[in-house]
Amino acid sequence: MKKRSFALLSLFAVGAAGTALAATEADVENSFNPYKAGMPSFAGLSAGTVINKGNVDKFKDVLGAGVYKLIKDGAFEMKVGPTTQFSISKAYVEATRSNLNKTKLGDKPGDMISGYVAGRPFPEEPDAKDPRAGEKLAWNYKYGVNWGDGAIISPFYWKYKNMQSGQVEKTIKWDFHFLNFMHRTKDAPVPEITPNPSGIFRAIYVKAHEPQDLKNTQLLIQRFEDDAKLDDAYLYLGFQRRVRRLAQGQVTDAFLGSDLMIEDFEGYNGRVSDMKWTYKGTRNVMLPMWNHDELKLASDMPAEADGYKYVDFGGQGGCFAEGSWQLRKVYVLEAVPVNANHPVSKRVFYMDAQLQNLNGANEIYDRKGELWKVFMVGKSHADHHLPVNKGAGIGIDDAFSMVDLQSKHCTTGQFKGQVDPKKNPPRLFQVQNLRGGD
Amino acid sequence: METKGNGAHRAKLLTASLAAFAGTALASELPALGEDESPWQVDVTYENHSVRREHTGLAKFRNTLQAEVDKRLASGWRVHGILRGSWDGVYRMNSGEYGKKAGGSIDMQSTTPGGYVTSPWGTGPVNYTLVSGLGYPGAAGNAFVDNYGPNNPNEGLRVLGDRWHDINGGVAFAVPVRPCDYDSRGCRDFGGYGDKKLSELEAPEFNERLDFIRELYATKTYDLADGKSLFLKLGRQQVVWGRTDLFRVLDVINPVDYSRNNIYDELSDIRIPMWMIQAEYRMGASETMQDRNLQFIWNIDKFRANNLGQCGTPNTILDAGCFFRGMANLWDNGGTVSNFANVAPGTLLATNFGPGQIGLKDVHLPEWSLKNTQFGVKYEGVTMNGLSFSLNALTYRSQLPSLHGGKRATNSFTGAYQSAWPYLISFDMHFPRVNLIGGSMDFQVPAAGAAVRVEAAFTDGEEFANTARPELYSENNVFRSVIGVDRPTFIPFISETSATLISGQLFYQHIFNHEWKKGDLGPVGMPDWKDSVIGTLLIKAFLRNGTVSPQFIVAHDFMARATALAPQVEWNISNDLKLTIGANYKVADGRSRWEFDDCRSCNPFAPFTAPNGDANPMVAYSRGLAGMEPQGRFRAGPIGAAFKENDLFLKLNYKF
Repeated sequence: MKKRSFALLSLFAVGAAGTALAATEADVENSFNPYKAGMPSFAGLSAGTVINKGNVDKFKDVLGAGVYKLIKDGAFEMKVGPTTQFSISKAYVEATRSNLNKTKLGDKPGDMISGYVAGRPFPEEPDAKDPRAGEKLAWNYKYGVNWGDGAIISPFYWKYKNMQSGQVEKTIKWDFHFLNFMHRTKDAPVPEITPNPSGIFRAIYVKAHEPQDLKNTQLLIQRFEDDAKLDDAYLYLGFQRRVRRLAQGQVTDAFLGSDLMIEDFEGYNGRVSDMKWTYKGTRNVMLPMWNHDELKLASDMPAEADGYKYVDFGGQGGCFAEGSWQLRKVYVLEAVPVNANHPVSKRVFYMDAQLQNLNGANEIYDRKGELWKVFMVGKSHADHHLPVNKGAGIGIDDAFSMVDLQSKHCTTGQFKGQVDPKKNPPRLFQVQNLRGGD
Repeated sequence: METKGNGAHRAKLLTASLAAFAGTALASELPALGEDESPWQVDVTYENHSVRREHTGLAKFRNTLQAEVDKRLASGWRVHGILRGSWDGVYRMNSGEYGKKAGGSIDMQSTTPGGYVTSPWGTGPVNYTLVSGLGYPGAAGNAFVDNYGPNNPNEGLRVLGDRWHDINGGVAFAVPVRPCDYDSRGCRDFGGYGDKKLSELEAPEFNERLDFIRELYATKTYDLADGKSLFLKLGRQQVVWGRTDLFRVLDVINPVDYSRNNIYDELSDIRIPMWMIQAEYRMGASETMQDRNLQFIWNIDKFRANNLGQCGTPNTILDAGCFFRGMANLWDNGGTVSNFANVAPGTLLATNFGPGQIGLKDVHLPEWSLKNTQFGVKYEGVTMNGLSFSLNALTYRSQLPSLHGGKRATNSFTGAYQSAWPYLISFDMHFPRVNLIGGSMDFQVPAAGAAVRVEAAFTDGEEFANTARPELYSENNVFRSVIGVDRPTFIPFISETSATLISGQLFYQHIFNHEWKKGDLGPVGMPDWKDSVIGTLLIKAFLRNGTVSPQFIVAHDFMARATALAPQVEWNISNDLKLTIGANYKVADGRSRWEFDDCRSCNPFAPFTAPNGDANPMVAYSRGLAGMEPQGRFRAGPIGAAFKENDLFLKLNYKF
């Protein structure tokens, strides 16, 4: 009898939770258009404002802690632009709508979700009272639009810089390719690329063209649908002409001497289950988001045949993108590594509520808990970028800056992102493709 | 020239047929990748590599200019080439050691009950006059000599093996060490080395094989239906099989140029590219495999051997080039051999052999012919559980020489010529056909935070020195394997932000049907170890954003008991300028284990060559009298045989 009472109670609890947590059409609308009721504002802040060392304290409430410190230290000045809509592709929104409430969390944090088909798995507004709200946002990120179903960054220039002297120590010219194998919503084949017996969800293929000592270095990362499965990563070293499987630890190592680790790519490039995620509230925070074609662009970069120009860099040591920042609705998300030996003790993300990407103004804390690095990835509206990107319905990553506050060093990145499925055949994401290199 | 012509013709035919095959399956709606033409891209780099060697001084002052060229054609083909030219100043800057003034007059050794006695080379106590005086029938017709003429003077010589051991009562003979335009004695083409002039040693890429065209190939991927593709790579290229560093278990398609820096350069810099056709049928995923590929390799180039380094140059791995040159000189011109004639108990006298009696005569380098081409096939895949593996098969010509003994010679004691003398150290050099099957795999071990690499191969057709056989070699099957573990590890005192790579490897080799037995005077049979194990450990750190990278490599040959220690620091001063400073130090404490049967007691010219007091003076076979030469090199291995070659080096790379 007692047993039956518990069972009834459980059913009731589940029913209640289901009612409380079920997302609605309105949630979908709100999730993809958080500015329907108007753009956010902050006293004294408007397009054209420049936030600098002198006035930064006035705007502390709309700045991430890391960004605030950088401005306070005089490392750069922030140019403020208007808040703009970054509308997401209709196909992705429609997939969200069609599959609403199908996704269920696992029994405990870190367990694989179930029922996910496509689109944003948890479009409802996060609830501070929901202990797993952070985890839901992490799943939203994993299955977010990011680079859409696939895209390339070609070329992609990284510069290693001494922040104090401004000396450029190394310049790397890459190609980056991203491809979703599953849960595709826009580019054929939809919904997935088959056969795919390992259940690869997404893969990243990277090839270095310069400098000479890294030429033909290639990296392949395969992330699996099953979040419990470790990523497979392979590195082809041009000077060795051999593919090496990377051990897991190498994803948290400084990638080829840069200030980034593989886990930093795109804001966070790891498994959901590798972190304990905590939703820390919703705020309006400045994020680097702009229209590429409205920026003053770099004149010191190699010429592109199509006339494309890269985002310029300035500030201390040339470590900061010269793009504008805008006030955005963000979810503050904290991720603490499950592995106690992880070189990072905590990551803080200011997740743009509309895009639900994770790379606007991240803070990375070292094992002692001290602020170590600030990662800022500027995004351009796709319609204000290359013609091929028009209507892509994603935020085009356009420039990044990873600043190591402790060693006064930075790595910057200048993108030429192209959402062009033709340049991303699945064969590029096979290990054998690496072996076909020079 | 004929080889290249034939090769090019066949390449064209194969390309056409493969393209035709691909054309039938091409899906017009598939994406066109990279079909826009690009201009030529040329990257030019300069490198100076200077080495100072303990005891000998400057051992390298090599200046290399390399141009890497790339072009994408509108047809979808991509052309890649590497042109490399180098000039090593060591032959002029240290000419007394490695150039036209190298070597000098040498002494040979005799063993007597009272100790070792030396005498100038060419004045061996056992000579024509002494043997004539023995008075046996036909003694006057003996073929020993009293002295050597002006074509074989005691000049420009070194004692075989003096770079790594003393004579110590063993076999020794003279080795001419000057470039072949200054001293042609013993000069032969042993497979790309052995007959080089000073200018060819200084600038090795400018030769008849056009090695300055280091690589030149075209690639194209034909997209087929269902996501499959056909990848072609045609031209002079390196094909790398396997997953291990340093060891060549599966990575045997290209021969290797050890003359550049022994075993201490990256293999990609010392593999000798060959004209090959490579075709890969990339099948992609299936319902049970994440990746599937079938690769065919057809090496249509004329045979090339590993370059073991010409005698008299700084890098002669195993000191083999000196053994070959000295033996070739013995055949051509004769020479004094230390401690050879066992005329009385405890007495082994230096002996003046005449030409055509012992030594190395012919080098049988495989000519170009269809049957001498080499063919390989590899299936490579990734299972749905992430195990990456390959299955490999290759039929090729051994890149290491095999010396076939017991050949023709004139009997030193009687002057009689015979087309074969069992157990006689009269050799020809051959490069036998070898068939290999093997495989490799790698996988992660998450609990250890490590990646594991495994590679194994079984070969049929390899040949080894074997004093238990009348022809002094035997064919043996061999199993080789390597297991490697890579583990990035955070070592706080090195770096708190960058992991230090720790990579260990264990190499194992087993020779099947290994022959080894006890003779009257010592072990007889195969000098190579039946089972050998070599371990390597690499520790590499990345500091100052990867611009400074210290590393330490240890390699230990467990059977030879020899160790190489190689610390180095690489400093990327700028994007275009890199400086590397390092050392290479060897330790060997097992030298007495290296001595092996040298066939002095083989008694080929029975009964004259029987050891003093021998029970079977009329029968040729080895009794096992041992010394360091010539077989010790097989037991010492590349580390042990170079244990006195301790180097300090500095390397400067600049990209224009």
